[in-house]
Amino acid sequence: MIKVKGLHHSYNKDGNFAVKDVSFEVKEGEVFGFLGPSGAGKSTTQNILTGLLQLQDGTVEVAGYDVKHIKNEMFNRIGMSFEQSNVYSKMTAKENLDFYAKLFDVEARDSMELLKMVGLHDKANMRAGEFSKGQKHRLTFARSMINSPELWFLDEPTTGLDPSIAADIKDIIKAENKKGVTVFLTTHNMYIADELCDRVAFIIDGEIKLIDSPKNLKLQYGEKLVEVEYVDGDETKKESFSTIMEEDKNKLAEIVKTKEITTMHTKEATLEEIFIKVTGRGLI
Amino acid sequence: MKLWNSFTKELLLSSKSFYFWIELIMSAIILFVLLFVVPENFNNRTEEYLYLGPQVEETFMEVLLDQDQDGEVEDTVLKSGGEEFNVKLLVTEDNEIYLMESLEDLDFLADKKRPAAAAHIYFADNEVKYDYYIQGYESERLQNLYKVIHAETSDVVEAEFDKIKVETLGAEVEPLSDRENMVPPLIVMNGALLGMFIIASYIFLDRGEGIIKAYAVTAAKPRYYLLSKVFVLMLVSVVSTLIITIPVLGGLPVYWAILILLITSAFFASAIGLIISTYYESMTQAFGVIYILMVVMLLPSIAYFIPSWEPVWVKFMPTYALIQGFKESIIPNGDMNYVLIASLGYLVVGTILFAFAEYRFKRNLGA
Repeated sequence: MIKVKGLHHSYNKDGNFAVKDVSFEVKEGEVFGFLGPSGAGKSTTQNILTGLLQLQDGTVEVAGYDVKHIKNEMFNRIGMSFEQSNVYSKMTAKENLDFYAKLFDVEARDSMELLKMVGLHDKANMRAGEFSKGQKHRLTFARSMINSPELWFLDEPTTGLDPSIAADIKDIIKAENKKGVTVFLTTHNMYIADELCDRVAFIIDGEIKLIDSPKNLKLQYGEKLVEVEYVDGDETKKESFSTIMEEDKNKLAEIVKTKEITTMHTKEATLEEIFIKVTGRGLI
Repeated sequence: MKLWNSFTKELLLSSKSFYFWIELIMSAIILFVLLFVVPENFNNRTEEYLYLGPQVEETFMEVLLDQDQDGEVEDTVLKSGGEEFNVKLLVTEDNEIYLMESLEDLDFLADKKRPAAAAHIYFADNEVKYDYYIQGYESERLQNLYKVIHAETSDVVEAEFDKIKVETLGAEVEPLSDRENMVPPLIVMNGALLGMFIIASYIFLDRGEGIIKAYAVTAAKPRYYLLSKVFVLMLVSVVSTLIITIPVLGGLPVYWAILILLITSAFFASAIGLIISTYYESMTQAFGVIYILMVVMLLPSIAYFIPSWEPVWVKFMPTYALIQGFKESIIPNGDMNYVLIASLGYLVVGTILFAFAEYRFKRNLGA
């Protein structure tokens, strides 16, 4: 669905690249996470893929279209949810969706159905200018589905949303993906990436450091630990043991044999810990 | 269809914004001023203040009464410097002549009112003498003229004037009244120039809301987004101009010519406004440039009202042809070729500028 090869972009065309030699592919039906801290080059890449920034160097193919010679018909197959809400504040929620529906050549989804999906159906006739930040964000998210896109660009889709709404948004993403929609997810939230993505790319300083599935990354970089809480005399102790190191394994066996175990569970490394391990940088 | 949808949406949104109403409110204000403040024709008569000496009074009165419009002297009271003066008033085609009762009155008036034309005419040394009151601002040429004008007899001067051939062209055509004559520069200012400012404001409002990016990822061309705004501006320009022209000019103008000129010039001005908006982030930043441009573009209006000031470079300014084009559309038997050529010029240059604005927009979408 997306093929990127040797992508470079310099805003001032002065050799200072916001994106350097970026190459990756996104398969049809996949949820691909583009992860990195602010200023890493995520938005630059996404803006090039969606034609908001002109392609300077490299080849980019999106939904079968060469982005160098972008055609408006390409957007019939694409949806885009922006990180910053951008809706007409003087129009109602429904008017916003109905207007955008007319800007595509494909059959549009019912605006009320979309508003219901994001929990705004009771605000359909309210001006978007009167919405809270979270409500505007949900409206922007709903709008990105108006043309039933095959390829869906999501920029920080759960940012600024309360946990229950964020969970609903994640469910919508999962459901759309189940229908066959390819998702390109840009985020610095490793938890949502871990939960939704089939594969993730770590990008930092404009370069992709690694691409793999969260599961493989955890297997490759995450050290498996067993966390045990046990009673030792009058005292309750808590210790972590590696399941790989021989010394730890023996010690764990000894405790299991001789002590009263209160709790015991395995603990995997988080995607965030792996990101830090691979890139040497945090996500904020 | 997408363009039509964008246009109707734009019209709906614009009508809810303050900027949309600026032009229409301005039109209403201009209309009010033209109808209720500006007279049909300004008083162009020069005021002259004279004191005629006893020996010349009778002779001069005869001459002046011949020129007076009703052939009668009007006794009136003139107020100046807190004083009141009994004067005789004669009104000719070009002048209002006030005859003072005494030389002291004339001296007082010349000092307090500082009129451009005041003179004491009297007989002495067997000849008529003229004492002109110079206020200090008169040019040397005028002062020299005062010196030489009486060097020859008035017959000789008149004979010289008679040698100058004056031919009135289109004498059968009724000239525009002063009020009608004021309309072209006003509709240029209110239509094209204000439109340039307003379209830039619309863009900055949209940019603030991030709407341009959202539009750019739809199957509609960015050109439609820009054109929808231009069309709204054209419509507002037409309506605001008709608000002024219909009540003030009635059936005098050639309305199809006015409409063509309005639409093409609004397109041209909108394209300039769009280009400016691509170089700045906010209205605050762009305001200086737009303001300066508007002031410069108003210079042909000055040339229009002061025909003696019309440097060659003014004729190359876009608003010069626009003002003249509107005037040709208003005056009877106006030059429609001029209007059409000017309109074509605005359309061609406007198209080039619009294409450049579109290019700039596409380039800056991700910024």
